[in-house]
Amino acid sequence: MSLFKSRRKKKTRRDEHIEQMAAIVGQSEILFEKEDLLSYDCDGFTVHKAMPKAVVFPKNTEEVAALVKYCAAHDLPFLARGAGTGLSGGAIPLNGEVIISLGKMKHLLHVDFENRQAVVQPGFVNLKLTNSISSKGYYYAPDPSSQYVCTIGGNVAENAGGAHCLKYGVTTNHILGLEVVLPNGEIIEISEDGIPDSPGYDLMGLLTGSEGTLGIVTKITVRILKNPEGKQTVLAYFDNVEDGSRAVSGIISAGIVPAALEMMDKTAIEGVEAGTFPVGHPKDIEALLLIEVDGIEAGIDEQIEQILKVCKSRNVREVKVAESEEERGKWWANRKTGFGAMGAISPDYLVQDGVIPRSRLPEVLQRITEISEESGLRIANIFHAGDGNLHPLILFDSRIPGETEKALEAGTACLKACADVGGSITGEHGVGIEKKEEMRFIFTDEELDAQTKIRDVFNPDDLLNKGKLFPTPSRCMDIKTIVKDTVAVK
Amino acid sequence: MEIRDIPQSTASPVLKDEKFGNSGAELAEPTSEEEIANVLRRANEEGKKVAIVSGGTKRGYGGLKNDYDILLSLSQYKGIVEHTAGDMTVTVRPGTTIKELQQFLSDFGQMVSLDPAWPEQATIGGIIAANESGPKRMKYGSARDQVIGLRVAYPDGTIIRTGGKVVKNVAGYDMNKLFIGAMGTLGVITEITMKLRPVPKAESLVKLFVPKEQLQALKEFIVKIQDSMIEPASLEVLNPALSEKLFNREVYTLLVSFEDVENSVRYQEQWMEDHVPAGLSVAIFGRDKAKEFWKDFANLAPNSLTDQESGSTKAVLKIGTKNMDVLAMMAVEETMSDIGQLDIEIHGGLGHGITTVIITGEEYPVQQTIQHFRAEAESKKGYAVVKHLPVKLRKEIDVWGKKPAYFFLLEGIKKTNDPNNTLNYQRFLGGI
Repeated sequence: MSLFKSRRKKKTRRDEHIEQMAAIVGQSEILFEKEDLLSYDCDGFTVHKAMPKAVVFPKNTEEVAALVKYCAAHDLPFLARGAGTGLSGGAIPLNGEVIISLGKMKHLLHVDFENRQAVVQPGFVNLKLTNSISSKGYYYAPDPSSQYVCTIGGNVAENAGGAHCLKYGVTTNHILGLEVVLPNGEIIEISEDGIPDSPGYDLMGLLTGSEGTLGIVTKITVRILKNPEGKQTVLAYFDNVEDGSRAVSGIISAGIVPAALEMMDKTAIEGVEAGTFPVGHPKDIEALLLIEVDGIEAGIDEQIEQILKVCKSRNVREVKVAESEEERGKWWANRKTGFGAMGAISPDYLVQDGVIPRSRLPEVLQRITEISEESGLRIANIFHAGDGNLHPLILFDSRIPGETEKALEAGTACLKACADVGGSITGEHGVGIEKKEEMRFIFTDEELDAQTKIRDVFNPDDLLNKGKLFPTPSRCMDIKTIVKDTVAVK
Repeated sequence: MEIRDIPQSTASPVLKDEKFGNSGAELAEPTSEEEIANVLRRANEEGKKVAIVSGGTKRGYGGLKNDYDILLSLSQYKGIVEHTAGDMTVTVRPGTTIKELQQFLSDFGQMVSLDPAWPEQATIGGIIAANESGPKRMKYGSARDQVIGLRVAYPDGTIIRTGGKVVKNVAGYDMNKLFIGAMGTLGVITEITMKLRPVPKAESLVKLFVPKEQLQALKEFIVKIQDSMIEPASLEVLNPALSEKLFNREVYTLLVSFEDVENSVRYQEQWMEDHVPAGLSVAIFGRDKAKEFWKDFANLAPNSLTDQESGSTKAVLKIGTKNMDVLAMMAVEETMSDIGQLDIEIHGGLGHGITTVIITGEEYPVQQTIQHFRAEAESKKGYAVVKHLPVKLRKEIDVWGKKPAYFFLLEGIKKTNDPNNTLNYQRFLGGI
């Protein structure tokens, strides 16, 4: 018998609230001990971390509603979480929230091919939907890079985009109906059965992209599409970024609507070539474009011809059309795993997500180069060039003191550069906690106020996902007045 | 700018309208955003009610009042604010007609992908506020898919920007959605930014005439089209009464349009010819005739500018159902008992689920028919909104139908934006 064996019992975090919530979902469906909660202290945005009070796993809408009612009645802050792939910190429990994980509500409930819709639970993984219907020739269009793991519920919260949204639109364009648990626990159905234009204000449109601050979505009706008959993919290498950018404009102004139009710069290419899916891009090129055209087979060739012509007129070094589905798949795997591939060339990286008017691409890329030089950090650019959605990846080493702060500052500077040309601070990753303060780059206090007042209609006690999306109202009245005056009415 | 009284004797029907109401004791015709904000601020402070009008086509759409205190006309606040061809976006003032906008854009080979009714009369502000769409919504989506940014004057005169000028944007709530289809009850839209598409290089319209007794064959064919890889821009079905009017043939007509590059359009026409049900054949309009046809089609329904004769009563319904239930709406007429002389023209989109019903007849049977269509739509979990009806009848029939269970949220939003009920009071669902 050891003299040193502690007789003290392990301290448990089990309390009355845990007991009550366990009674709703079952003892096995709740985590509350510290060691079990560690993996829930952040999402895809890893710079901030905070511990939740508990993580609960409801199995159905009624359990979600019961949990929400319990939290509301006991003033417990709470938030919903899907796969936790969000890149802006939307699912981080800043206030010690009860995390309502929708990971066990992961079923495909119904597919209606005649009416081209599917009904899913929020925890259903994006790519699984396409996989479930592809044998009949259908697919679900929004394709964020994390689609093999991210959930459709999370996609609704963030209004997720993807490489193919240039032609097909983002999540909000594909949502037909929602079942929602409101912050008071009430269950509502909006556009039940996917009926279009339900009379009344467009709450479905408002909820999509509200980053989990207005309600918890528990059932989603989505539009499904028939696979395009034909598809061709072009890869073009350029010796300077300017020529690549001009080729983008050239393709758009030729009246072509590509399904995707992606660009990578030299640093990004170095990363993806060092990553899991290298395709052998030349090491000395400055930019590459990945262009996809889909639709009726008979109409594709002439569009590809035009694209090749545009690229050639913009001094392309080499341009080729994918010769097989396998080759096309390789090119896309190389692109879609691009963010993660940065890990191969840098200990840490920060993904930014700004949007600019397409025509301002060359000058903004120039500005990002300057930001890189000023900060001393390398910045890789992988982005959706067709819709002006930039993803500067700021490479840094968090072990070097001060470098994380420098990376965050460089990220903010990139967003400022986007805002300065009339763009936006986020195209698909959301505001979360990451870009709260940057909201001021594009919105006035009145405009932020108009939005928070709408939040108050749904979430008056601000218990649901508190402290996200909007900047902290900390400014004094003087500054408010100045901001007001600078955005006078026209 | 002065607000002036409407002189009773010389008032144009656009402004003084006994039949459709939604008029005003005073008229304000601002030419700047600042003037719009001032009119609203003053009205809001003085407790006055404001009705909003622009082209004047939707005076028969919602609303229980003949006269508001002020009629705010946006018809003089028009024009293109900004167009960057390379960005494929346009910013436009609300009083611009859709025709003017499309004409401007056509010089750049671009278009706004909306094909609502009355392009020469209806203005973009009204189209967005009422969320109007047309048959090609199937391919291009509706207003909520095109609008990327708005400037909105709130009743207290504050100007709010929603969205932005870029085609992809998730910063903050998607506030654009609140104002699209809100019937001007939450704010006055003073500027609209939309994304554009290139004008398709080729276009055609394939018509298929289907005898009444072959409705089932039509349904099967539509399912086959939907399950194929062809990509129609419209899949609009007309009922026999409407076909009779347009084509002199009392049969169902399916209108399938194609918009793409030349080879693709030709291929899809061929597909239609190859797959048409036995015994039926297709007729094809080329680009010019197709354009001409859709222009006429857009002017089919009566509106508050054109429906000025007394005599018969006209009503227009917007019905929303699941896509395939549009066919059931086509056949509703057959389930009705004979209630008198009526004309019922119907067209509906199998690719988008919106059906339009135009009813003409005596007042009572028109009312009965509206109720009948509504009951049928609701039995399929859909709805029927009456989007054109004289004000007298609007007071008798609830043109919006039943309130959703979450109506308290709609009320809450209205109260947040317009606490004094200054704007288009009682114009929308449930009297908001």
